[in-house]
Amino acid sequence: MPGIVIDGRELEAEGGQTVMQVALAHDIPIPAFCWHPALSIAGNCRVCMVEVEGRGLALACNLPIYDGLKVHTDTEAVRNQRKLTLQFLTLNHPVDCGICDKAGECLLQDYHYAHNGSPSTSIDPKVHATKHYSLGSRIVLDNERCILCSRCVRFTREVSGSNVLGIKHRGDTSLVRPAEGRSLDDDPYSDNVIDICPVGALLSRAFLHQSRVWYLTTTPSVCPGCARGCTIDVWHRKPEWRLQAVATHRNHTIARVTPHENPAVNGPWICNKGRDLAALVERPRALEPMVKGEVVAMDQALEAARQAIAGAQRPLALVSSWGSNEELDAFKEHLAPRFSCAVKEDHRQQPNEPGDDHLLLRADKNPNTTRARALFGETPAAVPEGTDLVLVWGEGFDFDTIPDGVATIVLGAFDAPENGLAAVFVPLSIHTERAGHFTNFEGVVSAFAPCFPPPATVADAETVFPQLAPQGATS
Amino acid sequence: MTGTKVLMNFEVTDTSHTLDAYLERGGYQTLEKVLKSMKPEDVTQAIVDSGIQGRGGAAFPAGRKWQGINPYDGQPHFLVANADEGEPGTFKDRWVLEHSPHTLLESMAIGAYSLAARHNFIYIRGEYDRPWRRLAAAVEEAYAAGYLGEGILGTDFATDIFVFRGAGSYVCGEASSLLGSIEGTRAYPRNRPPRMTVSGLFQSPTVVNNVETLSTISWIVNHGAEAFRATGSDASPGTRLLSVSGHVRRPGVYEVELGYPWGRLLHQDCGGIPGDRPIKAVIPGGISTPVVPAALAGIRTPDDLDGVLLDHDAVREAGSSMGSGGMIVIAEGTCMVRLLHIMLRFYHQESCGQCTPCREGTGWMHRIVERIVAGDGRPEDIERLYTISRANDGTTICGMGDAAGFATMGILDHFRDEFTYYIEHKRSRFEGNIECPGS
Ligand code: SF4
Ligand code: SF4
Ligand code: SF4
Ligand code: FES
Repeated sequence: MPGIVIDGRELEAEGGQTVMQVALAHDIPIPAFCWHPALSIAGNCRVCMVEVEGRGLALACNLPIYDGLKVHTDTEAVRNQRKLTLQFLTLNHPVDCGICDKAGECLLQDYHYAHNGSPSTSIDPKVHATKHYSLGSRIVLDNERCILCSRCVRFTREVSGSNVLGIKHRGDTSLVRPAEGRSLDDDPYSDNVIDICPVGALLSRAFLHQSRVWYLTTTPSVCPGCARGCTIDVWHRKPEWRLQAVATHRNHTIARVTPHENPAVNGPWICNKGRDLAALVERPRALEPMVKGEVVAMDQALEAARQAIAGAQRPLALVSSWGSNEELDAFKEHLAPRFSCAVKEDHRQQPNEPGDDHLLLRADKNPNTTRARALFGETPAAVPEGTDLVLVWGEGFDFDTIPDGVATIVLGAFDAPENGLAAVFVPLSIHTERAGHFTNFEGVVSAFAPCFPPPATVADAETVFPQLAPQGATS
Repeated sequence: MTGTKVLMNFEVTDTSHTLDAYLERGGYQTLEKVLKSMKPEDVTQAIVDSGIQGRGGAAFPAGRKWQGINPYDGQPHFLVANADEGEPGTFKDRWVLEHSPHTLLESMAIGAYSLAARHNFIYIRGEYDRPWRRLAAAVEEAYAAGYLGEGILGTDFATDIFVFRGAGSYVCGEASSLLGSIEGTRAYPRNRPPRMTVSGLFQSPTVVNNVETLSTISWIVNHGAEAFRATGSDASPGTRLLSVSGHVRRPGVYEVELGYPWGRLLHQDCGGIPGDRPIKAVIPGGISTPVVPAALAGIRTPDDLDGVLLDHDAVREAGSSMGSGGMIVIAEGTCMVRLLHIMLRFYHQESCGQCTPCREGTGWMHRIVERIVAGDGRPEDIERLYTISRANDGTTICGMGDAAGFATMGILDHFRDEFTYYIEHKRSRFEGNIECPGS
């Protein structure tokens, strides 16, 4: 094991590591724009320079460690070079932080304050570039803010494999551009470049000018978009920054979604569908319990359902593959003995939607098929002859396949015509309103926490199921 | 006469570049000798013993580079000739390509044998038209005559040479970015480590040599390292092709033994300065090498026939470098502010834009000097230029950032007063002259 000394500290390291990796592992801060742990080394920003004893300045990100290597991260020469590098990087940068979405989480801002702090020493005009260049329906590029670190380019080559982005022209007129005839719409992982862009050059159209990031906070969650179950951070308004007068719906809607780094599931990435979580969960809700289309109180609805279940001869339950482990377990415990059960696909792969691919996406568009099938088996979600009651939990079931005269109990979160036709309808909370776990297709269990309180009139499935069990049926 | 000739040792005629003429000069006999009587490591040893330093600009010992490759390791290896001669003021490789392309081909075949390189490339700049046509014709001749391809000269040695035309970027002359250009990627210079002899073209061990360096190999192997060492000076053996341009009566390519007196080359061999003006300064090895004031080098007037000796060490002591051998002569009366402006325009335009200090610094320096030339300079601009230049020193991916800084600091160090004058009076002390005044 090579011995390496950084800032006088003797450190443990493995052969093959770079100075940057060793420093990072020991919480020694070295600034880096172009280096990213999940991408190849580009070594172009030059801000990571450290002083190697006896050799002068060298790049921390591209310097393999060797026995006896002594590195200093905070000498006069290092500080001076960092300062100059930041002077260079802001030379033609518009410094329009006031209207930039990245402000508050921008590496250029952070490093400027940490390592430069001085106004530009230039008196010459800046080089101008495209300010609002479309990279497709999701992302716009501000070339003036781009520091040409090539992270986005390397991402489309090395991670997503779409090869959409490149750099054209040269010198201080270099521009990140899509390949001819291509756009980032070709890349189902494109929005990751927004996160890894160290500055505010790559901007999400959906999030553009929607909020300053310091008004937001995150809640750890799991994407329900497919069987991968990527861990995500859901960004929403901080309680202390609640809007009082205008656009108050923003207090309880998703501002944006970013990956929550997780080596066991998704690494540092998610796909674009995960970014669009709001489109999945912020649909018109079903908020009122109903009996035969009449709005009733929750108690009455549950009582009617309990009676229907108790009275049925051959009841069938279609279990949701969007249920959490806890909900599925509760169903198993309290209702499974009363029903014949089958797992239902709540969401199916749409035409034009990618299926299994090389990175994250799965063809199974449900987050918890694994746990549901483990508990309820492989029986197809169909209504057998002789069924006299069907309990449908969640979405995605074709009600036309239920023979006339068979009663239904529907438990769901979203507005749908079937709700009013059901014998009983029970409105449920959605996964951003409750806590739980999903088990992904590889068996990895991830937790999600509530981001918003549920509407007052809906119930959590986990508490509903015990109440539906016919008295004595489970004992 | 400038001493022993290693490359320019025949009379140039309309046909001297052909295979027939080359064979008449004894061509391809060295290759035969190598293939039939030498081991790969013997050739490399001869190059090491000759002490030849790279002729492309960095003057790195060529033998040491070759020793970086183990011909027996079973991996693919590549030998690449850098014929992208793009350094302003440099046109000496062009002479070889135009007048003796077979010297390069024979040397490359020898090198390929020594380095166990099955495939070799010649990367030639796109603007070189006649050199390319002659080189391409020579490659065809060599294949037809069995000096390239399979079963060369009746042995089981096989090697191929591909000629690859560049598209006109200065940075492609940088060895590692040239490899990217061949691979078909954007020609960005690469960070070291890894060295190219570890991972170069297509991630395989690769040697990139300048055309002149490579072309000298067959002479060295033929005459022996001792004979090579007997030419030139002790520290810098051999000869160099110098392309002399600027304010001289007879610009052109000259082969000089290293250690040749600088004054004699310029005032006698090159015919001196039009109008017999004194020399103001010389850029010795392409614009990336710092300018040397003629007085400092002892070569100012036609009477100064000696001065600094042209070898790698002596020119380095004079504060510059022999670089690529592109010598630009500047007569008394030339405006150094405008000269720097032209040089910085070039660097600004040619910076590949990959790394921060060079991408931003070259443009910044260009804009500053442009402003000075326009009469809007500020006294603090000079310090600004120094700061930017120093921030590029040793901090960039390739040598271009350093070079732009060295070139700028070279001129500022010696001709600062011209800048002060220009800034103060808002005009050039020398009427903005760039052409040879009075010629
Ligand atoms: S757009 Fe962002 S990630 Fe891409 S090169 Fe520019 S600064 Fe880097
Ligand atoms: S890969 Fe699947 S789980 Fe991950 S973000 Fe995309 S849709 Fe969600
Ligand atoms: S020094 Fe200049 S030319 Fe060389 S890699 Fe950096 S930007 Fe490109
Ligand atoms: S982080 Fe090392 S050069 Fe950019």
